Amino acid sequence: MAEIDVLIVGAGPAGMAAAIEAGKAGLRVVVLEQHQTPGGAIFRQAIADAPAVRIPPRVAAIRHELSAAFAASRIETRYGHVFLGIDSDGFVLAEDRNTGAFVTLKAKSIVLALGAVEKILPRPGWERAGVSTAGGLQVMMKETGRAPAGRVLLAGNGPLLVAVAAQMAALGNPPVAVIEAGDPFRRFAAGVALAAFHQHLAVEAFGYLRELRRHRVEWQRGATLQRIERDGEGLIACVRNSAGEIKFIRADRIGLHDGIRSNEFGLAPANARGPLVVHAGDCREALGAEAAIADGRAAGMRVAAALRGFTHAEPRELTRLRQAEAILSRLFAPVETAHPLAALPDDTVLCRCENRNVGELKALCGGADGLTGREVKHHGRFAMGSCQGRFCADNTAALMAHLRPDLPAPQARDLTGTRWPIRPVPIAALAASGVGQAKEQEI
Amino acid sequence: MTAPIFRFKGRAIPFRPGESVAAALDAAGVTLLGHDALGQANRYFCGIGACQNCVALIDGVVRETCLTLAAQGMVVVPMEDAGG
Repeated sequence: MAEIDVLIVGAGPAGMAAAIEAGKAGLRVVVLEQHQTPGGAIFRQAIADAPAVRIPPRVAAIRHELSAAFAASRIETRYGHVFLGIDSDGFVLAEDRNTGAFVTLKAKSIVLALGAVEKILPRPGWERAGVSTAGGLQVMMKETGRAPAGRVLLAGNGPLLVAVAAQMAALGNPPVAVIEAGDPFRRFAAGVALAAFHQHLAVEAFGYLRELRRHRVEWQRGATLQRIERDGEGLIACVRNSAGEIKFIRADRIGLHDGIRSNEFGLAPANARGPLVVHAGDCREALGAEAAIADGRAAGMRVAAALRGFTHAEPRELTRLRQAEAILSRLFAPVETAHPLAALPDDTVLCRCENRNVGELKALCGGADGLTGREVKHHGRFAMGSCQGRFCADNTAALMAHLRPDLPAPQARDLTGTRWPIRPVPIAALAASGVGQAKEQEI
Repeated sequence: MTAPIFRFKGRAIPFRPGESVAAALDAAGVTLLGHDALGQANRYFCGIGACQNCVALIDGVVRETCLTLAAQGMVVVPMEDAGG
């Protein structure tokens, strides 16, 4: 079989766009995707006969065009493949979930389009069953065509919360409330900038808000979810509203969301002797689907050009889309200016996988030795667990920085480090692959 | 024709073709998928295979329920009952 020119990891917007472009250049392209369908989280396909989740017409058109071009490109796509990393010899490692086999692939160039993960701030009780990310609720809703059942509370920060709320309402189960740390109605300058330069985003936002009003969903701005407690079979959310009053809201499910960030956890820097490795889309810079398509297309052109000895610059539309993200983050800037982690009680879980809490981090950081991020991981097991720091490394690094203002601020990467596998893989699959044995023979 | 099912804690969980194990369990009202070795709840969380919170023993292998398509006759076991 011909050697792979371009191996693309992830069939979300960036991966699909990169595949289409590299394919147009006549290169042999292979895509690995962990799910059984293309689209990633943002364009997750509905199962047969499920009603579609409502998305703005403009986004639907972008999605349709991309999906049609990807289908027409007939790029070889291996579904059910979980990416595990790139080893020091430049081999791409993956687990084929269809067979349970460990797969190693060699390619001249690699495009990593691993998307984004949601940022979730810890709150006491965030580790309970029934609590998920708001994006998690949304992706399940896209898959099943069903709104999450029961009393659903959405809380955190950012425009995704109102989008999910409106989509739930349209599918017949509006959330009991949306708790938003920011107050876009008070950020006039950012609101004017959004309407002036990115009118379609303002139009889409008003569409969502109109849907919420129609279903009498309260969008509580300048409010924060303080903690989550058990309430029989359900949950009870303790919310501080913009007037500083504490209110309790009963819910069966709570969806949290505090923004998104690149899913580049654990990825080693490219090896100069190895294949060309390019990060694309949200995996390079989390700017959303439209930017991911533009960036993925550029990544496809870039690897195609590089294989022929040319260089290729960042697409120009990224400047505009980066500006839109910056305006949105000003618009949704939290009203509360205190550090969101500073007042957490000591028993708040920071690292859910290893069950490590705020008090344990304070104890580690209290010594005179000024532990590094790496030492906090190795001594304290923060970011050591099976999510590999995806949901705690940012928060742990931020709290370390807050606790020790006189020391250099650690980054998430200092805690997570870089390695393969970047995701758990059954030891049996690894052992059966012979990867370790091959290494020994080389030595 | 009856809906296909898989087993979770002795319960028959119906699902629609193409649905993940996590989505079918959620539709059946199951939000607690079990407990991990440290006693934390296993639950659906991120939906994209990143958080590892929703793992269970599926036909003998630890898998994210959100990434695994439900299949007729599949056996899904909470982590605390996984043994070993």
